Amino acid sequence: MITTTKEEKVSQRIARLREKVLGTRPSVCTERARFYTEVYRRHEELPVILRRALALEKTLKEMTIFIDEGELIVGNHSSQHRAAPIFPEYAVDWLPEEMDDLDKRPGDAFYITEQHKKELREIASWWKGKVLWDRGRALMSQELRDLQDAAIIKATGNLTSGDGHIAVDFPKILSVGLEGYLEEIAHYHSQVDRSDREGIKKDLFYRALTTVLRAFQSFILRYRDLALEISSRETDPRRMKELRTIAGNCEVIASRPPESFWQALQLTWFVQLVLQIESNGHSVSLGRMDQYLYPFYHNDILTGKISDEEVIELLENTWIKLLSISKIRPWSHTRFSAGGPLYQNVTIGGQTPDGRDAVNDLSYLILDSVGRMRLTQPNLSVRFHRNISHDFMMACMRVIEKGFGMPSFNNDEIVIPGLLALGVEPEDAYDYSAIGCIEIAVPGKWGYRCTGMSFLNLMRVFMATLHNGLDTESGKVFREGTGHFRDFSSYDDLFRAWQHQIRYYTRKTVEIDTAVDTALEELVPDIFCSAFVEDCIPRGKTIKEGGSKYDFVSGLQVGIANLGNALAAIKKLVFEEKRISPDELLEALEKDFAGKEGEKIRQLLLNYAPKYGNDDDEVDLLLRDAYMEFINELEQYHTTRYGRGPIGCRYYAGTSSISANVPSGAVVPATPDGRKAYTPVAEGSSPSSGTDVKGPTAVFKSVAKLPTEKIMGGVLLNQKLTPPTIRKTEDKEKLISLIRTFFEDLKGWHVQYNIVSRETLLAAQKEPEKYRDLIVRVAGYSAFFTTLSPDTQNDIIARTEHTL
Amino acid sequence: MIFNIQRYSTHDGEGIRTLIFFKGCTLHCQWCSNPEGIPFGPTLLYDERLCKDLGECLSVAAPSIQRNDDGHGIRIDRNSIKHPEILRDVCPAKALTVVGEEIGVEELLEEIEKDRRFYRDNGGVTLSGGEPLAQSDFLVPLLQELKKRGIPADVETSLHVEWKSIAAVKEWVDTFLVDLKHTDAGKFRTYTGGDVRLVMENLKKLVEGGARVIIRVPVIPGFNHSQREMIGIIDHAHALGIEEIHFLPYHTLGMEKYRMMGREYLYGQYRSLRDEDVHSYIEYAQSKGLRTKTGG
Repeated sequence: MITTTKEEKVSQRIARLREKVLGTRPSVCTERARFYTEVYRRHEELPVILRRALALEKTLKEMTIFIDEGELIVGNHSSQHRAAPIFPEYAVDWLPEEMDDLDKRPGDAFYITEQHKKELREIASWWKGKVLWDRGRALMSQELRDLQDAAIIKATGNLTSGDGHIAVDFPKILSVGLEGYLEEIAHYHSQVDRSDREGIKKDLFYRALTTVLRAFQSFILRYRDLALEISSRETDPRRMKELRTIAGNCEVIASRPPESFWQALQLTWFVQLVLQIESNGHSVSLGRMDQYLYPFYHNDILTGKISDEEVIELLENTWIKLLSISKIRPWSHTRFSAGGPLYQNVTIGGQTPDGRDAVNDLSYLILDSVGRMRLTQPNLSVRFHRNISHDFMMACMRVIEKGFGMPSFNNDEIVIPGLLALGVEPEDAYDYSAIGCIEIAVPGKWGYRCTGMSFLNLMRVFMATLHNGLDTESGKVFREGTGHFRDFSSYDDLFRAWQHQIRYYTRKTVEIDTAVDTALEELVPDIFCSAFVEDCIPRGKTIKEGGSKYDFVSGLQVGIANLGNALAAIKKLVFEEKRISPDELLEALEKDFAGKEGEKIRQLLLNYAPKYGNDDDEVDLLLRDAYMEFINELEQYHTTRYGRGPIGCRYYAGTSSISANVPSGAVVPATPDGRKAYTPVAEGSSPSSGTDVKGPTAVFKSVAKLPTEKIMGGVLLNQKLTPPTIRKTEDKEKLISLIRTFFEDLKGWHVQYNIVSRETLLAAQKEPEKYRDLIVRVAGYSAFFTTLSPDTQNDIIARTEHTL
Repeated sequence: MIFNIQRYSTHDGEGIRTLIFFKGCTLHCQWCSNPEGIPFGPTLLYDERLCKDLGECLSVAAPSIQRNDDGHGIRIDRNSIKHPEILRDVCPAKALTVVGEEIGVEELLEEIEKDRRFYRDNGGVTLSGGEPLAQSDFLVPLLQELKKRGIPADVETSLHVEWKSIAAVKEWVDTFLVDLKHTDAGKFRTYTGGDVRLVMENLKKLVEGGARVIIRVPVIPGFNHSQREMIGIIDHAHALGIEEIHFLPYHTLGMEKYRMMGREYLYGQYRSLRDEDVHSYIEYAQSKGLRTKTGG
C-alpha cells in the first residue's frame, strides 16, 4: 500500500496538456450538427433508430480528429478542446434565440463565430418542429405544460439534452473486446423472428448496433493511422516510440480485448468519448475504475511493464481528456447545473461482492492523481464502508484538504441494504457506483437516468398550501385546496392541506416523466449506450424500451430544508406561541418582509423557531413526515418500462439537485422560514445556509433523521470546513472519526467537504446573515466567523490565503 | 449556570467532545477570550451589526437602553440594569442577547447524550468555563452520572479554587486540563487578579493524589511569552512529574465580545500568535521528556 503522500509535482507533459485545456476558451463546434442533419435529411424514409446509427457512423468517420503534442491517451470530442458539439435533434429553438448571447453568459460562456452562427441558423430551421422538445411538449396535456411553464415542475434538462446519468459495463467491454460484442449481436440477430412485430423492431436494433460498433472500430483505427502518420515525421525518438505504442494500442483495442493497462484505459476513454458524442446528457460516468482496471494494472506491475508513476501519468492524461469535453445547453437548463461540469464520475473503494474491502493500490493512484490535477473532472466518489482502512481515509483527507471538494463519500452501509430492499441481487448491490455527483446505480445493468427526471419545487407547493391551492406566482389554481391558512386552527390543518397538495404535484411529476420518457424512446434512442448495458442485446431492446436489467428512477425535490423550517416556524410561532398571527405572517410574506413590521416578523421566523440541521426533533421530524407524504405517493407509480423486462421500473425520492437551488429559489416568493423572495432555497439535503449553528454532529444527526433508505436518488450533504479544521494530522483523524459515526452508526448517505476559501470569508464579512454557520475552532474556544471583530476576520482571511 | 454548549469540540481533550462552559470565573485574565464567562450571573451582550432598530428592547428597558442619536443602534447603561434576564428573548434579531442560563443535570445530560455516538473510543465531555470547579456542587452529581453512563469527562480548570472543590470531584474526572499561566506570584496577580500559590498548592496535591493532569499554558505576549518565563513554567510542571503539556498560542477571537459587553479590551495591541511562535517552548518541553501539543 502507498501510505505516504507522493511527490506532488506533475510531469512537464501533463502540466502542459493541463494548461492547454484549461486555457482554451469554450467554443462551439458545428461538425456533429452538420453530419446529423445531412443524414437525417437524406434518409427521411428510415426509422429513427437507423437514422441515428447512420448519423453517428458518419460523425465517427468524418469528424476532425487530432493528437496533441505529448498525449498518451488519444481521442477528441469535437474539432477543438472544449468546443461543444451541437445536438440539434434534442432542441433547436433556443439556438437562434440565445446564439448572440452565448459569449455573454454569466457562467458557462461559449465563443462562437459568425460563420458558425449562420450555419447553425440553417441547421435549426430544418429541425424546427421535428425535435425532442416539440415531441415532449406535444405529449403533455395543457395542465402539464402549464405546470412546467409556471416553473413548479421542471423537466427541461431531459427534453433539451437527453438522459445521461449512466455508467456502462466497462468490465465486460474490457474482457470481451469489440469483436466479442459484434459476435454476440450477430448471434441474437440471427435468431430474430421477422414474422413478428417485435421481431422487426429487434432486427432494426441489431442493424443499428452493428453499424454503430463497426463505426466505432473505424473511429479507433483513424487514431491508429494518425499516430503512425505523426510518428513518421517525429524527430524525438522517445516520442516516436510513444506514438507507435499509441498506434499499436488502437490496433489491438479496435477489435480485441486490451492486453495492457494503457490499452485498457485507452479503450475506456474511447467508450466514454463516444457515449458523449451520441447523447447530450450529462453525468455519463465511469463506474468503479479501480476495480475493472486493476487486473491490467496488477499484471503490468508484476511483469515490470509499467511503473506507478507511469500509471499516474496515464490517469492524469485521462482526467484532462474528461475536462476537454464540453457541452452546451439552453440557459434555462444550464442554470440548474452551474459551472458547466459534466459530472463524469469515477468511483473508487467500496467492497467486493463477498463484502471485503475493495481498496487496492490503483485506488490510491486514482485518488492521488485526481488530487494532483485539481480539476473539476472527474467527479471522484469514494464508497465508504465499515471496514475501509484508516490509511485510505487519511489519503482521502489529504486530497480534501486541497480544497476542491473531492473526493465525496457515498456510504455502502445504507446504499447496499437500500438496493437489496429494492430487489437488486446481492452481487449487483455490492457492485454499485456513484453516477454524476452522488446518485447511484449498478454500472452496466441500470437504465438511463437513475436520477433527475424532473425537479419539483417543494416551496411553491408549500405556498399553494397556504393559499388554498392558489399558486400566487402564476395566478393559477392547479389543485383546489382544503381551506386557507387564515382558517386553519391548528398545525394538523396545515399538514392535511400539505398532504392534499403534495399528492397532486407528486402525481404530476410522474405524468411529466412519462411524457418525456415516451418522447425520448421514440425520437432519440441511444444505440451505442444500449450495447453496453445488460440485457439490451439479448432482449433486442434499447434501454428506453426496457433493455436494462434494473430500472429505478428518481426525480429531484428542491427546497428540503426550507420545507422543514417553514413548517416548524408556523407550528411554533403561529399555532403554539401565537407570537405571529396568520394574517401578519401572510402580509409579511406578500410584502417580502418590507418595513419594520415585516423585518420584525422575519427576524422572529429566523431566530425564534427551530431550524433543520441542529439536531432538533421539533423541526427534523416535521420535515420527515412532510417528505414522507411525497415518498408514499411516489411509490405507487411505475416508469414506462414497467412490464417490458427490467426489475423495478419504479420511482424513489432524490435530493441531489446540484445547483438547482438557485434557479428554483428564483421563482419562489418569500417563505415562512424567513427566506426572502427569489433568493436561493437550500441545496440538496443540506441545512439552509447559515442556519446550522450547532456544528457538524448536529447537522449529521438532522440529516440522518430523513427517511434516508427511501431516498435512493441521493441525500446530498455539503459541509464547509475552514482550513484550520483539517490542517493537522490530529484534525484529520477527528474528521474521519466524525465521518465514521455518521456513516456506520447514523447511516448517513453522502457527505462532501468544501474547504472555505478566502472568497467565502470575504463574502461572509459582507453578508454575515448568510454565513452564520462558519465556525473557527481553536483550543477552549470556537467562534462563528461572522461574530468576530473585523480585524480578527481579516487576520483569518490573511492566513487562509497562506494555506490555500 | 452555563453559557454555552459546544458540540464537536476537537481541541479540548481526546477525540470528539462536547464542551460545557460554566459561567463565572475566580480569575479575570486580561486576555480572556471568553469574557462573558467571567461574571457569575447572566450577562447582556449587544452586537450592533445585527441590530435592525426594531425597538423591542426600548419598550422593555428604557431609559436604561436608548436609541443612539443618529437613529441607528442603541446605547446601554449597564449599571442601571439590575436584572438582565428581563431582556432575554426580547430582541427579534438577537442583536441583544442574555448569556447564561440555569440548567438542570438531567437537561444537560440530554444534550450530552445527543452526541454520544460521536464520542466513540476516546471522546466525551469536557467541563470548561469560566471556572467549572467554582460550581462543584453541581458538578458532582453530573460527573457521577456521566461515570455511570460510561461517558468520559475532563475538566478544564485554573485550579484557582478551594481544595475542597477539587477534592469533591476528582474521583469522577478522567483528566484535569490545568491552566498553568505563570510561576511568578506578582505577575500572576497583576494580570489575572489571582493568587498563584493557591494554584500551585492545588496542583501539587492533585498530582500527588494520582490524578491524570495535562498542563495547558496559554502563551500570552507581554505576560509569559518569553523563553525565561516559559522555562520556569515547564520546569515547574516537570518537577511535579507531569507528563504532558500543551501550549495554546494567544489569539484575538474573543476581542469582539468585549465590545459586545461594553468593556474595553486591554490586549488590543497584540496580534494573534502562530504555531511557529511557540516552537522553542515545544522543543524545550520535549527535551525534558514531556509530551507536547500546540493548540490542544
